[in-house]
Amino acid sequence: MNRLRALFLAPVWVIVGSLLFAPLAIVFLYSLLTRGAYGGLAPPWTFENYQRLADPLYLGIAAQSFLLAGISTLLCLLIGYPLALFISRSGPRKNLYLLLVITPFWISFLVRTYAWMFLLRDTGLINTVLEAAGLIREPLPLLYNPAAVVLGLVYGYLPFMVLPVYAALERLDLALLEAAADLGAAPRASTLRVLLPLSWPGIRAGIILVFIPCLGAYLTPDLLGGGKAMMIGNLVQNQFTTARDWPFGAAVSLALMMPVALLLVLLLRRKGEELL
Amino acid sequence: MRRRSFLGAVAGFPACRPKRPRLNVFNWSSYVARNTIPDFEREFDVDVRYGIYESNEEMLARVLSGNSGWDVVFPSNYLILPMRENNLLAPLQHGWLPNAGNLDRRFQNPAWDPALDYSVPYMWGASGILFNRSLSPAPASWADLWEPRLNGRITMLDDPAEVLGACLKKIGESINATDPAVLLRAKEEAVRQKRLLRAYLNAEVRDQVVAGDVLAAQLWATTAQQAMDAASNLAFAYPSEGFAVYADTAVILRESGRVRLAHQFIDYLLRPEVAAAVVRETRTATANRAARELLREVSPALYPADDVMARGEWFEALPTPAQRLRDRLWTEIKAA
Repeated sequence: MNRLRALFLAPVWVIVGSLLFAPLAIVFLYSLLTRGAYGGLAPPWTFENYQRLADPLYLGIAAQSFLLAGISTLLCLLIGYPLALFISRSGPRKNLYLLLVITPFWISFLVRTYAWMFLLRDTGLINTVLEAAGLIREPLPLLYNPAAVVLGLVYGYLPFMVLPVYAALERLDLALLEAAADLGAAPRASTLRVLLPLSWPGIRAGIILVFIPCLGAYLTPDLLGGGKAMMIGNLVQNQFTTARDWPFGAAVSLALMMPVALLLVLLLRRKGEELL
Repeated sequence: MRRRSFLGAVAGFPACRPKRPRLNVFNWSSYVARNTIPDFEREFDVDVRYGIYESNEEMLARVLSGNSGWDVVFPSNYLILPMRENNLLAPLQHGWLPNAGNLDRRFQNPAWDPALDYSVPYMWGASGILFNRSLSPAPASWADLWEPRLNGRITMLDDPAEVLGACLKKIGESINATDPAVLLRAKEEAVRQKRLLRAYLNAEVRDQVVAGDVLAAQLWATTAQQAMDAASNLAFAYPSEGFAVYADTAVILRESGRVRLAHQFIDYLLRPEVAAAVVRETRTATANRAARELLREVSPALYPADDVMARGEWFEALPTPAQRLRDRLWTEIKAA
């Protein structure tokens, strides 16, 4: 029986091994080498790339990334939870609403980010309409600041919060809320003590699915932040392009995985619970 | 069975068709005209595999291995020396390049490759300031991009060599400075300027200057020319302190097994009418004097006069410690 099990699991190990562990091992080896004079890799083996990470400069960039990713995740939760609740209660229209949530994925994220640039520019739609309505005299500086980066991240990853929360709320038995009310719980109490705990698996999955990609984002800070704010993703990208320092770039990207792994362990440590 | 015949057998039926020789060309995006490659294929009865890249780093990362599969690539001038040192370049046979005489005198014996032993200049350009004519007085120096009156309406290039280069010129130093103290002062200039900047943008700033969102931008002359073609209220200035100049050159990789064909391709690009057709579409400055005469191009942005060019400084390959310091300073500027 065990041999049969191993046989059926073999494809999984082949895929995970060749597409996850092998590349990670290569990245790890890169991170232990030295920058070649014109890019690429050179001997000797060294831990220097990891020692450089302790530099306040890079810690500051990491802190900035955690802050922006944290704010974006919180906003996704604040917007996504009520939306998911609304969809799960909308009866026959559910599927239509879910389709609308997914529709943006039909267009490339890059193109949609460019669309935001056209909305937020000085001569963009929002500023033009506000000026025409006489509400503002000077265009508002909407583009190229941290708020624009957060906006882009929230916009991009909101569906990843809505869908798992929806999945959790969908399975929730509404009779439980009625029972709470029957037992004298005010709406606030039944929300905090019944609804939220029961939808926690969905919230947790949503946080993971939003926070992790936000932390590694580089396209959004580059395009909507105007290259003025640096997140970890931009640091990694710079090391592999203009700085031509692959070993340090590899070390930064591996270092980025540590807090992410820690987060996963913290959020998933309770045994026997499914992710969704 | 030899490997090639084995592969041919594996590839099967398509291999039965008599196969034309294939040349692999890896070039910057928008660096040829629509007909350049098809015309070459027809005339020489060959196939061209044409790939494009957006940065020198992208190209270097591929060809450093020495078996990238490309024959002709187009590195910037300051990479010729390092690429030679890494044994990546094949020496050119000038007997196979009769059209090299069409090159501008400036490019017949450039500092980076005085006898054109390894490279043939193709396109070149410089960076300066694209600005809106409504600005009065008009910006004429890099220092003008530090003026508070432009707060929020200026951009700089998203490129460490260009931004540090402008800062170095502002404080009267060479764009190729390697002295840490000098580079540190340049970084402080950049940090001081960052508060006034709308963003660090490359070619994508073009539309925003045309629309009037941005009043002044550090920009490459070729992108600036495209903006000026689109809007008559724009002008381009080569800053008084001096400015950075680069050239992109055609080289043949040492790994190439089609050296003769590669020479034919480079010589084809050197023909006046071919080079003229390319720049007519791309609005780039050609290194080809004969092509320029065909075009009667007079844009002072693309082809600055000799007294302006005297202020230009060519990018050079920098020693590793200076390069590392610059990379770090760039991160500091971005994180400031």
